[in-house]
Amino acid sequence: MTIDYSKELPTVEGRLSISQIEELVAKPLDSKPDKKFFMALSISGGFLMIGAICLLLSFYYGIGLWGNNQPVGWGFDIVNFVFWVGIGHAGTLISAILFLLRQKWRTGIARFAEAMTIFAVMCAGLFPAIHTGRPWLDGYLLPYPNQHSLWVNFTSPLIWDVFAVSTYFTVSLVFWYVGLIPDFASLRDRTVSKIRKTVYSILSLGWRHSNRHWLHYEKAYLLLAGFATPLVLSVHTIVSFDFAVSILPGWHTTIFPPYFVAGAIFSGFAMVVTVLIFVRKIFDLQNIITMDHLEKMNKVILATGLMVGYAYGMEFFIAWYSGVQAEQFVFINRAFGPYAWAYWIMVSCNVIFPQLFWFRKIRRSIPLMLIIVILVNVGMWFERFVITVTSLHRDFLPSSWGYYIPTLYDVGILMGSFGLFFTLVILFTKTIPVVSISEVKAVTDGAQPSHHGGSHA
Amino acid sequence: MSQDKLESNENIKQPDSNYWRSFNELYNDPVFIENSKHEFYNGVTDGFSPNELSGLSRRKFLALLGASAALAGAGCADYRDKGEIIPYNQKPEEVTLGKPTYYASTCTGCSLSCGILIKTREGRPIKIDGNPDHPVNQGKICAKGQANILNLYDPERLSTPLRRNNLGYFDNISWEIADKEILNKLNQAGDKEIAIITNQITSPSGLKIIEEFKSKFSKVNVYTYDLFNNSIKDSAWAKSYGSGKFPLIQWDAAKVVLSLEGDFLGVDGNKIENARLFSQGRDIDAIEKFNRLYVVEGNMSLTGMNADYRMRLRPDAQYEFVMCLINELSKRGISSSIITSQYSLQDFAKRFSLPGKFLNHLVNDLIANRGKAIVYSGSTLPENVHIAVNYLNEILGNTSLYRKDSTIQQAMDLSLTDYLKNLISSLDDGKVAAVIHYDSNPAYHLPSDLNYRKALSKAGVVITLTVSENESSAISDYVLPIHHNFESWGDAKTRSGFYSLLQPVISPITDTRQKEGILLSWTGIAGSYDETLYHKYLLNNWEKNIYPGLNSKMSFQQFWNSALHDGIVLVDEKVNISTEFISSSLNELKPVNKYSDYVLVLKESFALGDGRFANNGFMQELPHPVSKVTWDNYAAISEQTSKELNVKNNDLIEVKSGNNKLNIPVFIQPGCADRMIEIELGYGREKAGVVGSSVGFNANSFIKSQFSVSPWIIEGVSVTKAGGTYNLVSTQEHHAFDIERVQDLHKKRHIIQEGTLETYKKNPKFIQDNRKHELESVYKPFPYDGVKWGMAIDMNKCIGCGECIVACNVENNVPIVGKDQVEKGREMHWLRVDRYYSGTINEPSVSTQIMLCQQCDQAPCENVCPVVATNHSPDGLNQMVYNRCVGTRYCSNNCPYKVRRFNYFNFRDHFRDGYQEQPLLALLNNPEVTVRSRGVMEKCTFCLQRISDARSDAIRENRPLKGSDVTTACQDSCSTNAIKFGDINDLESDFSKFRNHELGYYVLEELNVKPNVTYLARLRNTHSEEA
Repeated sequence: MTIDYSKELPTVEGRLSISQIEELVAKPLDSKPDKKFFMALSISGGFLMIGAICLLLSFYYGIGLWGNNQPVGWGFDIVNFVFWVGIGHAGTLISAILFLLRQKWRTGIARFAEAMTIFAVMCAGLFPAIHTGRPWLDGYLLPYPNQHSLWVNFTSPLIWDVFAVSTYFTVSLVFWYVGLIPDFASLRDRTVSKIRKTVYSILSLGWRHSNRHWLHYEKAYLLLAGFATPLVLSVHTIVSFDFAVSILPGWHTTIFPPYFVAGAIFSGFAMVVTVLIFVRKIFDLQNIITMDHLEKMNKVILATGLMVGYAYGMEFFIAWYSGVQAEQFVFINRAFGPYAWAYWIMVSCNVIFPQLFWFRKIRRSIPLMLIIVILVNVGMWFERFVITVTSLHRDFLPSSWGYYIPTLYDVGILMGSFGLFFTLVILFTKTIPVVSISEVKAVTDGAQPSHHGGSHA
Repeated sequence: MSQDKLESNENIKQPDSNYWRSFNELYNDPVFIENSKHEFYNGVTDGFSPNELSGLSRRKFLALLGASAALAGAGCADYRDKGEIIPYNQKPEEVTLGKPTYYASTCTGCSLSCGILIKTREGRPIKIDGNPDHPVNQGKICAKGQANILNLYDPERLSTPLRRNNLGYFDNISWEIADKEILNKLNQAGDKEIAIITNQITSPSGLKIIEEFKSKFSKVNVYTYDLFNNSIKDSAWAKSYGSGKFPLIQWDAAKVVLSLEGDFLGVDGNKIENARLFSQGRDIDAIEKFNRLYVVEGNMSLTGMNADYRMRLRPDAQYEFVMCLINELSKRGISSSIITSQYSLQDFAKRFSLPGKFLNHLVNDLIANRGKAIVYSGSTLPENVHIAVNYLNEILGNTSLYRKDSTIQQAMDLSLTDYLKNLISSLDDGKVAAVIHYDSNPAYHLPSDLNYRKALSKAGVVITLTVSENESSAISDYVLPIHHNFESWGDAKTRSGFYSLLQPVISPITDTRQKEGILLSWTGIAGSYDETLYHKYLLNNWEKNIYPGLNSKMSFQQFWNSALHDGIVLVDEKVNISTEFISSSLNELKPVNKYSDYVLVLKESFALGDGRFANNGFMQELPHPVSKVTWDNYAAISEQTSKELNVKNNDLIEVKSGNNKLNIPVFIQPGCADRMIEIELGYGREKAGVVGSSVGFNANSFIKSQFSVSPWIIEGVSVTKAGGTYNLVSTQEHHAFDIERVQDLHKKRHIIQEGTLETYKKNPKFIQDNRKHELESVYKPFPYDGVKWGMAIDMNKCIGCGECIVACNVENNVPIVGKDQVEKGREMHWLRVDRYYSGTINEPSVSTQIMLCQQCDQAPCENVCPVVATNHSPDGLNQMVYNRCVGTRYCSNNCPYKVRRFNYFNFRDHFRDGYQEQPLLALLNNPEVTVRSRGVMEKCTFCLQRISDARSDAIRENRPLKGSDVTTACQDSCSTNAIKFGDINDLESDFSKFRNHELGYYVLEELNVKPNVTYLARLRNTHSEEA
């Protein structure tokens, strides 16, 4: 294939007119949900129910239903938390950082990625709340004035977590909503249903597409993007502090913040690609979420995968270089101990398979891409499992070594978190435009004045 | 309404029209007037006849209604739930609210009868310690004795007499009926036998009652047995020296101890006394008095773990080993009057691949320490070994280490096997009118070839006196519930020189009776039963028979009160130990050198004893001191044997001896001799209650009344792989010996620091030289101005028995979690004993270490708790605020010692369906310690409640609090005084000597968490050339 490097590739393919774009994106919102929608919803809802039942039983009997023990105090609960926070990284990265970097290709995927961020952070936020022994006392983690004059412990990374995750969730939500305002206005203008009109009218906050609105909107969006950008880096940095601040070999590592952020972007992009592959097909959005977009995301996956691989290697190097026996043991034990299977799943999924993305053909092949990104998702889940569980199960005193075996309740709650995530995603596709209409309109060929006279060459 | 009726009524009164209720009444409607005369509308009462109703009158109905409401109210309400706490308005004399009262008594957990001190709070016993005035156990008590309190409050104790009905079920009956019916049967015995079967009798007054009983009924025989006993050892002694019992040993005076299959620190003899005396030879302040322990044994025992030199040898080869030793010694100039030339130590060593260096050292040490060494043979060994050992001690002059100050005395000797066989044949012949199980469980214990259960079915009547249900009560006609130890009066005599006394510390919790009182009431000599019956008898017996001989200057009442206060009565008794060795006994020493393929060794369980403690969760959950396995017994085999049998840990094997077969899981025990299987008894109880039934495997059936070697050592067993597995759970992961990266980690990480005595003599600072220098902190250290609590653990004294674990459990209300939770790694013990192996799997060297919260000054748990639920006190304690704890478990993850314990469930509810939540068991709890809820982290607090108590005492008495004012529960229980506790800042104190000892180090020092528990490195007394 020959590529004409003399001009940019079109962000939107198929020479869609502006009204066609609006039609295309708004179509799922105008039509009644079909059978397939309900099937998908019932599957994800079923998962959600399984999780809910497991959770209720855990509340009733205690978290002894899980596999956690001494010495492995954290198991699936925290693994899932870190996993979902990681998934929640792609959205804000795409919408904020790529926005600041003026990457036009982000427009087609930004809305969806942001929505996934919000849903993933909701899933993530669930786990710190339920992992405690007495979840009904979670309020103690918030610094509120009380008659006991009790205050939280600001030296504990778990408190930092509370702030980091809640801030990230709030800012992501606001950012997402601000981006939605012009689209809500468009929908308001299109719809004939009274109820919808009322809802969209309220949500669009009186948007009239006026120049002055656009002027303020663009400024606000830029500011929010600037505000969200450091959060993308900070959230997972702070999540990594949950481990790095401890004295446990395998956790107590200075490389964790950048390693975690890279891993989060890696897993977040993988999840976005996984979902988008289906969405663009089902909603006929191939022209807006193009193969080029997917390929670019795959490149990001390749790059962050390499960073993660580097971190894996560096951990081993530092363990050796530190000369600390316990530290060296933890890493050797990871690779060759009782949890070696988890370690090698992690390495092969995160480091070895993504190398296939060096090939353009694979980057642009939907089936291969799907397999690799799903493997990356699996690998990144196992990365958190390896970090959390293998470090704990054999620490300083050989006398208290143990082995962690998850129970059905652990698996059920993990399934439930996927159920929650996909239920929200499925509902989202039928209620809110999955692509930012206004932004895509702005980057489609001919939308911008150019000295070519707007011709489509 | 019928018109005719109306017309038939003639006398219609005119109603008073001033009061009318309706127009009909006003106008005197005749229909109305008629109706008003009848209560019911016409027709409604057709077919109603009062006679057809039940005979219940209205009055009676109301009475019953009232009564049943009252009954429901009284019966369903929890009688302990008084709704609110009302203080005494008249304070009982001995009780000060919030202050414990202590009573001296005697433990009846086994026949050793140690003195105990029972701590009671507001009238309920909450903790058992040793009686410090008791000459034998001197303030210490074993784990079983500590846990005995759980038996007192066991909700499954029998509460009323039971009688078996025709269907084979038990009905509750009253004591009056039980007494009447049983007495009838006893009186009808005629010339038939009445058999009383009991464990060892230690009580002189109790024995006297049995005598009374014997004289009342014509033909009474008493059978006494103990599953594990010294009878073989004693009979060997009698053969060697003519009379008496095997003497006690001056362990403290021994420079060299050679123990042959003798677990004297574990289950052989009075381990509390043995450990105390033995550990006096492990005093780091008197290193010139250090003793050296050689152990030659089959399976790794608690004593073997503490050996300086240990060698594995199957127990049936012990005899030849001793003879080889005698031969070797005689070759080296120790005169011996028997010809032993056919025994060559070198050949023997080659055949059993024993390390030559070991034997060389042993022989040299025995020669060099003549008169200062002792050779000790375990009580399970056959008679010829004991005779040979007696002779060995004789020729080495070691008899000087036999104690002359005291000797074992028994109120009554155990019955010989033949005597028991007589019982069985009389039973079979139908010549036994009644069998009384006098607080014993022969159906579970007696040798299997006696077929006791079968014979028992021919007895006239079977009566079991027991605290709670057991195998023997299940096949009885009458089951009579008796008082627990702490509800009983009594006395005990186990040694010369003193008596111990029992006194009740709580009134009977349920409708039980004292066992001696029951027998006494049946004799009728003192009237019918009441609670004071036996008490009066006891007093009378003492006043008449014992007090006069004591030449006391006090009146009897004064004497008795002070004796009860002390728990003991010292008496002047001459000890006669024969010292003339009878050389003819040497004729018993005939050559034996045929060995069967596999030998089975049966050993007393460290935790459950002979099975009496099977329903005690504290003991079931106490990790085995060597293997750390809980809630099960197993077949311990060597690695080599496991390879031959092609089995791994947890695989089932079939052990077969004659007709007896047992499928039991395998545990590969490092240091176990090849081709031997060791199984602990006391497990596999069928009827022990919800805690103990069907826990482990019952190997009692291998004990036979006819045996070739000894009842507990069975030759000629066949062992095969049975297929299938059974999960054994332990509190410590067994990691492979052969994987290099996990080998000796405890040494590589300086967790265990040890040296030899020689190294220490040469360089007393050898530990300090290797210590990491203290790192600078970025924070300003907190100035601990007042008392700062610390602990020092002397690993020279610690034998790793784990008695401190039970003491801690009882003191701190630690829940029992059950096998399934131990398997998951969720045991709640605040204190554990870590055991590490080093060296090879066949000749391992073992190190143990008590691990508890180290109360770090820079505690890693504290800074990661998001809600400050764990924080530091100004006196250096790492505190837990249970109310504040949310349960994130980060503290536990960040604890390098992994001593924090998390309540994953409400374990009291989770374990055996709320067994521990039963109201009776709530009485067990120490009121000074919070009972933790589900979802809360907990850990050792250095017995904070005791510190607070001491502090308030000091404040009240207006004096400064001193470190020595407080002792922790683990410290109190430690029979070797390995645990020291006190004020770090008080440099003058005794504790300071240990805290700042040159052998002291911290575990994981390099983490700079600044622990407040100092470990004193263990010194192994090996030979200088190995230093």
